[in-house]
Amino acid sequence: MRPMTITTSMDHMATRTRGFSRRRDVRQVVALWAVLTVLGVVFGLFVPARLMGPPASPTMRGIEDTMTVFSVAAAPVAAVVWAVALYSLLVWRHKGAGPPETDGPALRTSRPAAVLWILLSSVLCVFLLVWGLAEMGSVATAGSRNNPMVVNVTGNQWVWTFDYPDKGGVQSDQLYLPVDQPVVFHVRSKDVIHSFWVVKMGIKVDANPWEVTQTSVVPNKLGTFDIRCAELCGLLHADMETSAHVVSGAGFTQWLQAHGGHA
Amino acid sequence: MSSAELASRSGCKRTEVMHDDCRTGKGDTMSEAMVKHGALPTAEGGGGSMRHLNALTAVAGGVALAALGWLISHHFMQTDDPETSDQVVLITLGCWAVGFMAGIGAFAGPFRWLLGNDLTHADEMHLAGKDQGVGRYFRFTTDHKVVGVQYLIVTMVLLAVGGTLAMLMRTNLIVPHSNFLGPQTYNSLVGLHGIIMVIATIIMVTGPFGNFILPIMIGARDMAFPRLNALSLWLLVAAVPVLLSAGFMGGIPTGWSAYAPLADQATPGMDGYLMAIVIFAISSAVAGANITTTVLTMRARGMTWTRTPIFVYGVVASVGLALPALPMFMAAQVELAVDRTMEGQFFIASGGGSPWLYQNLFWLFGHPEVYVIVIPAVVALMELTPVFARKPLYNFNAAVLGIVGIVGLSIMVWAHHMYASGWAPDLNGPFMLTTEMISVPTGVLFLVVIGTIWRGRIWTTVAMMSVYAMLWNFIIGGVTGIYLSDVPADYALHGSMFVTAHFHYTLMGAGLTGAIGALYYWFPKMTGRMLSERVGFVSFWLVQIGFNVTFLGMFAVGLAGQPRRVFTYPHMFATGNFISTIGAYFIGIGMLITLYNVISSWRSGLVAPANPWGGKTLEWAVPNPIPLANFEVLPVVISDAYGYGEGDPQPPHWRADPHSPATPELVPAGAGTTISDTEGSPQ
Ligand code: HEM
Ligand SMILES: [Cu+2]
Ligand SMILES: [Cu+2]
Repeated sequence: MRPMTITTSMDHMATRTRGFSRRRDVRQVVALWAVLTVLGVVFGLFVPARLMGPPASPTMRGIEDTMTVFSVAAAPVAAVVWAVALYSLLVWRHKGAGPPETDGPALRTSRPAAVLWILLSSVLCVFLLVWGLAEMGSVATAGSRNNPMVVNVTGNQWVWTFDYPDKGGVQSDQLYLPVDQPVVFHVRSKDVIHSFWVVKMGIKVDANPWEVTQTSVVPNKLGTFDIRCAELCGLLHADMETSAHVVSGAGFTQWLQAHGGHA
Repeated sequence: MSSAELASRSGCKRTEVMHDDCRTGKGDTMSEAMVKHGALPTAEGGGGSMRHLNALTAVAGGVALAALGWLISHHFMQTDDPETSDQVVLITLGCWAVGFMAGIGAFAGPFRWLLGNDLTHADEMHLAGKDQGVGRYFRFTTDHKVVGVQYLIVTMVLLAVGGTLAMLMRTNLIVPHSNFLGPQTYNSLVGLHGIIMVIATIIMVTGPFGNFILPIMIGARDMAFPRLNALSLWLLVAAVPVLLSAGFMGGIPTGWSAYAPLADQATPGMDGYLMAIVIFAISSAVAGANITTTVLTMRARGMTWTRTPIFVYGVVASVGLALPALPMFMAAQVELAVDRTMEGQFFIASGGGSPWLYQNLFWLFGHPEVYVIVIPAVVALMELTPVFARKPLYNFNAAVLGIVGIVGLSIMVWAHHMYASGWAPDLNGPFMLTTEMISVPTGVLFLVVIGTIWRGRIWTTVAMMSVYAMLWNFIIGGVTGIYLSDVPADYALHGSMFVTAHFHYTLMGAGLTGAIGALYYWFPKMTGRMLSERVGFVSFWLVQIGFNVTFLGMFAVGLAGQPRRVFTYPHMFATGNFISTIGAYFIGIGMLITLYNVISSWRSGLVAPANPWGGKTLEWAVPNPIPLANFEVLPVVISDAYGYGEGDPQPPHWRADPHSPATPELVPAGAGTTISDTEGSPQ
């Protein structure tokens, strides 16, 4: 008895859906949706990652990919909402002054739409989660494999100091890193909370006065990159910035020696 | 003629604009008739000491007690130790609040009760503001309609102050190194703007519309606890000067989140902040208990849960969520106060405390708080969409479950604000899970709105256009929220202008937009006048376009790496910031036009018919001006209020209650009990 009811109701649903898709306004909304989706996908592919600039580490590359993938995945969903909204303004709008003379159709609910919408958004949600967890795994291991170099980072109002405990204790207010060498940062603060942020490397962790925090990265691009503070830390928080110089292995050794350390 | 009558007469003349009985002069006929028939005593002579108390005596009481508190504490406690000046400031501000509440008459009721004098009927009528003209807006008035209007005014004042600060901040950021405000002032304004706006937006829907409209919408004659209603409003009013006083004592140099240890070291402005939070938390607890009880116990006969309008769910969700959330914030601020004044060490690591404790408490409040703001605003728009689409609300059940789902999940996501803090990195994964799950019930709300719009007869009023603006802005706020929920992406974006742009898209783009839509929708019922649609559209487009320009600019500089809460920035961010500031000026002008529209329409707008939009909820069934007790005869509800297109002519969804107590005059102040009290009373 029961399975039969289900099949009949499925059949019924299918006929209803077929009838639905033959309506002119439905076809036009779908077309509008397709256009908006394409626009959204193009935007997602080219804009967010580009605004973030060229990545200076695999971590940042992964983050920019995330931004792109999430934007592309969101585009069709946003497009459903905007397509219906736009179409209703263009076509279903009551023209003329004063209230509409007639009511719209007494459409209280439609099971297929609700089921489909919730199913799709749940699938999307699971996808985001799996993607995020996978990425988190790779970020966590990024710098800690293969015998990383340790750099101590200290924030105090409103300067950053870096020292290299394994390299003869060299100290500097600019960060020097050899390219392609995994680094672990041990981050702390002398006064209030700061947040250590190497923008183009996609790493950030709070510098706390009471406990050492950690983050790690493999810089894979030569050049000079901005380091900023990302936690309001008092008067000159805005000025609390310095540079990270990613140099060749030889260049790094040279720099260490020039500052009284050793490789 | 008694002095009270004189006062009310002259009040009437001066303020023909107020929505009350005064305008048409008809409002009093019913009660006059009743008085003539001897059914009721007049309001004359009621009120006792309350007759002499109003906003002026409140301010006088507050200032007097504050001065006394300051003199005494300053004399006995003030030393060179900065801790002692915090003590003096806190005592002074606390005295202000107590004096203010005494001066408004908040303690008169309990005190009389202590002395064994229960309120007479005349007292209750006086408390309800009967025959007091505009004066009742400046008193401890229990009529929920008066309280609703008072909340509206407080909200607008707060938004105006917060908005002005935003304009100053954006002006400072128009070019790098502008030095318009300087770092000291800028830093103290960021936090002040933030907390003022947060408080304004928490109350902006549940205050004005939750108090004025909701009781009528559910067919009640007042709230369950009218005196608590007045209490919550006047506590809020008492908190406003306390909060603003922070601006004169060094501001809030920590941002609105007031993280320790920076907050431990901050100037006495911090004391203003924390005292305001404590008072506000009490106010909102009182309001939340009141609204929740009202909805649970005072819905009209026949108004089952499935026939209860969706707006009622939204308001209950909001105040119900605030009930557990705000005490976290309050506890955190009390602990901060103890740290600042009595070496409490709650948040001081060297003394055994933990700043991470503060962060947890703050966000245990802070995340639910965004839903406290957004849910009622979006649901207000959901309530008006069927009216302007002339269609039933699409999938009511899904709407209810969506709201419930959001509320349930929103208390389990707080540590997504702490991914990069170093606290419990192992929890980042689970918090990412709960956060991303919220997108499902949120998506359901979108489905409900677009389902309602689908093939509707869209009447594009300003209120309805706010729905469209919300659909645009809230999608952007939601999608950018998904980026931020992703742990690695948040490592890149946390603490940047991207976050700022994201939450403005939700709080302002969806929240404030929803509240403005709700204002256009319900203003005719609240004031008896229509807001000008033409002026409304000018301001609508200025605000919405300006808003998108401002915060799209902020997204761009945030992605490029500009931190938030900065008074200046490197040249690489100059273009985005310039664009953002120009957009902000558009918002500012648009908001001023809205303000102008409200004031001018209130005074001389078109007189509104009782039901200008063709709405079916019960508030549209009561006449303008609304009688003191709302309904002469209580309604019985027989179906929900969304039956558009169902039968021609449509059957009414409510009828008069044959068992209705026919003495609506007996209601205010204690409405919860009057209905049964009056059941057998002689007519
Ligand atoms: C007139 C429109 C507005 C403009 C131009 C504006 C502008 C700004 C700016 C420039 C900041 C500083 C950003 C940062 O450094 O993080 C800010 C922060 C903030 N705004 Fe607005 N805002 C506006 C309206 C609102 C509204 C309606 C709310 C409602 C909740 C709001 C809530 C906040 C909050 C909570 C902060 C964070 C403060 C902090 O970081 O401590 N703003 N706003
Ligand atoms: Cu900083
Ligand atoms: Cu949150």
